[in-house]
Amino acid sequence: MRIRSILIIAMLLGNIYFVNAGTIKVVTTTTDLRSITELIGGNKVSVSSIATGYQNPHFVDPKPSYIISLSKADVFVTVGLDLETGWSPLLLTSSRNNKIQKGAGGYVDASEGVTLYQVPSSLNRGEGDIHIYGNPHYWLDPVNGKVIARNIANGLERVDPSNKTFYEANLQAFNTRIDSKMKEWQSKMAPYKGSKIIAYHNEWVYFETRFGLKIVDFMEPKPGIPPSPSQMVKVINEIKANSIKVIISSPYFTTSSSDVVTRQTGAKALTLATSVGAFDPVKDYFDLFDYNIDHLISVLK
Amino acid sequence: MGSKKILFIMMMLLFAGNTCLGQVVSDSTARDSLLLKQIEEQMQSQNINQPAPQQTRSGITANPDLSVIGDFQGSYISKGKKNFNTYLNETEVAFQAVVDPYARADFFVSFGRDGETGKYGVSIEEGYLTTLSLPARLQLKVGKFKEAVGRINPIHSHALPFIDLPNAYVNYFGDGLNDEGASLSWLLPNKKFYQELVFQATSGAEESPTFFRGETNRFIYLGHLKNFFTLNDNATFEFGLTGIAGPNDSARTTNIASADITYKWKPVKMNTYKSLTWQSEFYYGRAGMPDGIPKKSFGLYSFIQYQLAKRWFLTGRYDYAQKPYNKSIVENAFSLTGGWYATEFSKIELESKLTNSNIESSFFQAWLRWIFVIGAHGAHQY
Repeated sequence: MRIRSILIIAMLLGNIYFVNAGTIKVVTTTTDLRSITELIGGNKVSVSSIATGYQNPHFVDPKPSYIISLSKADVFVTVGLDLETGWSPLLLTSSRNNKIQKGAGGYVDASEGVTLYQVPSSLNRGEGDIHIYGNPHYWLDPVNGKVIARNIANGLERVDPSNKTFYEANLQAFNTRIDSKMKEWQSKMAPYKGSKIIAYHNEWVYFETRFGLKIVDFMEPKPGIPPSPSQMVKVINEIKANSIKVIISSPYFTTSSSDVVTRQTGAKALTLATSVGAFDPVKDYFDLFDYNIDHLISVLK
Repeated sequence: MGSKKILFIMMMLLFAGNTCLGQVVSDSTARDSLLLKQIEEQMQSQNINQPAPQQTRSGITANPDLSVIGDFQGSYISKGKKNFNTYLNETEVAFQAVVDPYARADFFVSFGRDGETGKYGVSIEEGYLTTLSLPARLQLKVGKFKEAVGRINPIHSHALPFIDLPNAYVNYFGDGLNDEGASLSWLLPNKKFYQELVFQATSGAEESPTFFRGETNRFIYLGHLKNFFTLNDNATFEFGLTGIAGPNDSARTTNIASADITYKWKPVKMNTYKSLTWQSEFYYGRAGMPDGIPKKSFGLYSFIQYQLAKRWFLTGRYDYAQKPYNKSIVENAFSLTGGWYATEFSKIELESKLTNSNIESSFFQAWLRWIFVIGAHGAHQY
């Protein structure tokens, strides 16, 4: 009886430990990190993302089902800077996987080395949802994509050093493609440099800075606080005073308040893609900027 | 047979510990040689291609994450002499951090008010260590912790969608089954859905309506099986079973069996605006008595929480409870709670509740509470 139970336990343990051959298993928090990992890792990795592309990355529900994939992961890639603070620490602790805990070789903080914007000198929650390390939406600058890719390549090389040359070659190809696409995107956006716009939430500062836009105000009176009537009046006046043409938003915010403002002003409400997979055509990290730039230009014309 | 089983579990733990230790040694050797290699490389290259200096980031300290949660309440009850009351129900201070690469620690100190005497006292609500690096998908927790009974017990009261606790739950567990000991959880290697098995052994130190420490060496044993299914991107279903055995105040054994069922709908794209939760728990108690005739009882609660808008929640709950010491005494209660969740850090809730009992006349209660958090605030369980 006891021998049989020991045998069963041994078999179960065997399953966990030995069905592990093949590709490097990577779990990313967001779809942008998944896309870049796929481009760097190629056929040597299998990648899944916890959040979807049309979901608010601050508020992902830590469903236990995510723990299953995390428990088997070799590499975990996070946006960092407390973007995922409401959910990923809980999932990581529950994963029981010490390969991907903070500080382990399989833990990749994609923000390492990114030049950060809006780093607060003090923290006061009276100002709304402030991020103590700086604005965490840095992947919306394609040049930061290169820093993310470098960090991911470092992580893959730590856990799979035998394929280092493969990852380095893919990283090189990724960087070259970013450089060439940057020229195309910059030249497309050049005529609209200095265009004033309104944004729903403070998540576009990296995109704004890279492409020379000017966000005048936000629909949210403070980050994370839903639009109030007085803020909407303020925005309406700003749109009229500056002849602003567009209010940009994200798939996971309601459009009701933006709709009120657009009816009052004639400005257009435009939902941009904040992540890969936000809309069907946005299949990878390059599509993200193609989509956003083409749609912005169509309303700024 | 019992002692043999314990011996077997201890052997397994020892074995697990060995494996863990083995990994530590080999890891650190590998890291040391890697570090040496890096130092050599850096010395040779004289810092060519030096990366840009990183910005100084605020908030980096060795202190644990610290938060203070205030729970201010006002209450009304339709019976008795004192009908209205206001009080700072609880002040909870949390300290949470990773200890080292092998474990994390969580402490919750509660400055709470005794509901009956109105006096304030300090207690360690929870204080436990959780391992991060046991092999075989095991996780060990030691210290004082809220035990793994269904869906309400593990959650701190300020995070529940109602202000009072369900009658049946209070009958068996009072303010909660919260005890000192060890908890071992195993994530089952099930590829189709999430399955977790928890086994807990605790000393029974905490006062409880059901269990009693007494003078003997008897512990409280608890087993919980959690099954979690993702139905689609927007909906999940959870089914859990719990069994508890421990000594009661007659020095006999009380057994409690419970089942919990939870359905959640939360559309991924608009998950901050809309959601629905339907959660129910069923409790069956069997208390051994000196006369050899056990006392059996049953109770349940079921609630539906609907999110009306980004910050508005409505929760309706039904309670059915037989008194564990006399199952012919039955209570039915209906309650409705409206909540305004201003931000992640504060919420205001108003609950009204009507209780019917077969031994006294019906009575009405209402509560208003304001929960507010300062400092770091950890994530809540799904």
